[in-house]
Amino acid sequence: MSNSYNKPVLPKADSKKVSIVVDGADVEVPEGTNLVEALKTIGIDTPHFCYHQDLPVAGNCRQCMVETDGPRGMGLAIACYTPVRPGMKVATDRSSEKVKTARKAVMEFLLANHPLDCPICDKAGECTLQDNYMSSGKHESRMREEIGKQYKGAPEHRHLDAKGQDRGGKHIDLGPTVILDQERCILCDRCTRFMRDVAGDEQLYIAARGDHAFITTFPGQPLQHDYDLNVTDICPVGALTGKHFRFQQRVWLLSKTETIAPDDSLGANITVEHHDGHVWRIMPRRHPDVNKSWISNATRLLYQTLSENRLTGGSFRGADVPLADAVERARELVHGARKVALVASGHLTLEDNAALLALAESLGSRAEVFGGSWLAVGAPDGIARSGDPVANRLGCTLLGISDNLSDLVRRAKEFDCLVVAGHDLWAADAERAKSLSVIPERIALSAWHDATAQASTLAVGIRAWAEVRGSMINVQGRIQRLQAAPTAPTPDLEPAWQVISRLGHLGWTSEVDAFRFAQGRIPALSGLNYRTIGSQGRILEGVAP
Amino acid sequence: MATLTVTQNFGKGARDLEVYRSLGGYGSISSRLFDLSQFELIDLVSRSGLRGRGGAGFPTGMKWSFVPRNSGKPVYLVVNADEGEPGTFKDHVLMQEDPHRLIEGMIVCGWALGVRTAYIYVRGEFLPAIETLNAALKQAYAAGLLGKNIGGSGYSLDIYVHRGAGAYICGEETALINSLEGFKGQPRLKPPFPAVSGAFASPTCVNNVETLMALPWILEHGPEAYQALGTPKSGGTKVFSVSGDVKRPGVYEVPMGTPLMELLESPELCQGIVGELKGVIPGGSSSPVLTAEEARKANLDYEALAALKTMLGSGAVVAFNTERSAVGMLTSLTRFYAHESCGQCTPCREGTGYADRIMKTIASGKGREGDLDHMLDLAANFSYTTICPLAIADAWPIENFIGKFRPEFEAEVAKNPDRGSPRVTKDFRPGAFW
Repeated sequence: MSNSYNKPVLPKADSKKVSIVVDGADVEVPEGTNLVEALKTIGIDTPHFCYHQDLPVAGNCRQCMVETDGPRGMGLAIACYTPVRPGMKVATDRSSEKVKTARKAVMEFLLANHPLDCPICDKAGECTLQDNYMSSGKHESRMREEIGKQYKGAPEHRHLDAKGQDRGGKHIDLGPTVILDQERCILCDRCTRFMRDVAGDEQLYIAARGDHAFITTFPGQPLQHDYDLNVTDICPVGALTGKHFRFQQRVWLLSKTETIAPDDSLGANITVEHHDGHVWRIMPRRHPDVNKSWISNATRLLYQTLSENRLTGGSFRGADVPLADAVERARELVHGARKVALVASGHLTLEDNAALLALAESLGSRAEVFGGSWLAVGAPDGIARSGDPVANRLGCTLLGISDNLSDLVRRAKEFDCLVVAGHDLWAADAERAKSLSVIPERIALSAWHDATAQASTLAVGIRAWAEVRGSMINVQGRIQRLQAAPTAPTPDLEPAWQVISRLGHLGWTSEVDAFRFAQGRIPALSGLNYRTIGSQGRILEGVAP
Repeated sequence: MATLTVTQNFGKGARDLEVYRSLGGYGSISSRLFDLSQFELIDLVSRSGLRGRGGAGFPTGMKWSFVPRNSGKPVYLVVNADEGEPGTFKDHVLMQEDPHRLIEGMIVCGWALGVRTAYIYVRGEFLPAIETLNAALKQAYAAGLLGKNIGGSGYSLDIYVHRGAGAYICGEETALINSLEGFKGQPRLKPPFPAVSGAFASPTCVNNVETLMALPWILEHGPEAYQALGTPKSGGTKVFSVSGDVKRPGVYEVPMGTPLMELLESPELCQGIVGELKGVIPGGSSSPVLTAEEARKANLDYEALAALKTMLGSGAVVAFNTERSAVGMLTSLTRFYAHESCGQCTPCREGTGYADRIMKTIASGKGREGDLDHMLDLAANFSYTTICPLAIADAWPIENFIGKFRPEFEAEVAKNPDRGSPRVTKDFRPGAFW
């Protein structure tokens, strides 16, 4: 297979342009890219199944056919494996009947053996087979019962259905996270290429050959990898589905909010998908320089915590209190204290931490800010995690917050009030956190009933990461935006910066106030705003370590 | 008796090295070969008009000239002995009868391309041939004809026999290379072609057994003599595997351009047809079939058969008489290609199976009007849209059997009393609801 490792060349902002002729019109496209990408830059979508920007080209689905000029005149070629040549002639389905026929034929071939069980398929609504049928197929089936289908499936999963038909494999449990439906598979080879090329652990393969080939794991072996759920995203049909999302929600009901993963300092770009105030899944959002098209299973399953164990009000000395009362009491405690320790958090946004700094400023010498984390830092996995669980660590450092939690532990007796914002110190290291219990008034701003909230004297509920607007700076020195999904468990919950603003009478009315404060502390942020940061973030000059 | 260039040692016990030598074998492993530069040798092969005998008929000298010399990587020679086309069995017999001629041919090719390591990829089912080859290799190594410093020339070559696992598609050169490397035998995307990046991502020359076995004769007698045996454009001789309804099926070597009927009817060759000739498949099961009338006009060379819209292929001639059913033959062929599709490209994977199931439906008396046109449409749609030509190898028989024997297929469909029924019995289209 040494030759199949051809990664596609993707257009870049500074790619040199060459002119080619598409459907008779002269156009400028990036040089060296394949035709799928080149045509995309001029607004022509080429239907395809097996091609994926972040996987080696396999060229087996044959759906992306175009005509190109060669030594023997115009002829069919796959767009995903044909590089742009200056002056080349390309005909798409807009001008070539041959291309139209070829694409339609591929649709007919794929659907001939497909079970067509869209009504019970989770992929329906975001299925490439459905999309491409609408764009290139629209044929009437010529299949009939006597001819019959060749359902795909391993011998041990073949079965007779209620009508007595020989069927393939349905709902096969591949491992802890993924379910396989061999019948629906169109053998595009994306999942096996992902496991081989991205995950680096070839757990899936195509067994047998011809139309009786099927995807499977090695005998007795599960599909089990930190990134294995990505195969469910790249599967163009409903063959691979994640156990966490099966039969949960129809995808056309879901609204999408673009944000970033809060559990790792690479800040993988994600989309939070919600319906009716509830988050149903997290999907990767492609960023060529951050996480490509991948996210780890841990990041993907984070949404489950958004509806579990949430702190929706306040709690004072073990008794539930209304949120407004809790905030008011916190304000009184902070202002009545002799000396306040404020613990910032790399799990919160720049805006939240800026608010904490502004609060400290307003309290003057009575307040001191501490930062850092007790969580263990691992090594980058080369896919979509840096290994550092503190997402906004670099942001905190740039704001001037030092890594000095150990100082706080040593000098705990000096303080009579502790404010911990979005930072579960007691879960990270209960032993060390215990010494903070000498501080008589411990206020926790937390989205969850976590260990710190329980160890505090006053807990104040705040919004979780998926519900706030703001920004974080990832390990590459890239500032990226978080957007708010309308999924907070109660509408009263406020983001941490807003609660802190109330504690310090800062009078901030939106995240923009907090961001402006952060700009005052971080020169590299000058001139930026949320719009210019955009959905792909911005590299800050000279801040990456 | 015509001049034989490849099969002259048949029946003489030449699989033994001493016998082979006594018949003039390994004569080219001398100054005759080693005094030639690589360029002179490639030029000599080009002048002989030798073309690839595996099926495609690509000029051998030109193929060799595509192999880069200074890539910094080793050059591999891979012998394609994965003879799998239904009707073809000449390579099996060639390796069985005269293994040393193959080794000698490989040394010649190896010298031309600077090859140090060569593989013989033998079809898995050819166990006797593999044993014969291994025994011959052992003898050749012992005699200093392989290994380091062959015949004192300073040239070294190692040959390994690799046993395939039984897939027709591994006869396609890039699938063969994948299989050789230990991967699933599936054709690769091209470019790069094997000449540039083949086995182990290095320049690789893949040649058929018969092609290489012609080299010793060409070296001995000169390229012009070889060219003169055939027609101006198709030089030399060709080995044919003849099977089917002939009196004496077998492997025959005849000069290029020999009339097809001479091969089938000559008393020295096949000795005539059993029954009345209905048609001939001239170049392996994938080549378009010829009717008896066309077969009588056909000459066995690349150009003459191309003019009849068929091909010489690997030289597998299958003759059949009027008792054979075209429906039955096509059903066998579609089953073969559906079974052997590697499953990589959609049109071939799903299309060959689809066509096979329609064919089975027709053959079982359940065919309907329109099924034949449906078959032809499918065949047209899976031709020329895939990585390798396996789909075309299925499409050609479909198009030609149905095209040339259509009344037989229509008679088969006519056996179904429900042949005119509408395709769907219940109207279950969305339009029925809204």
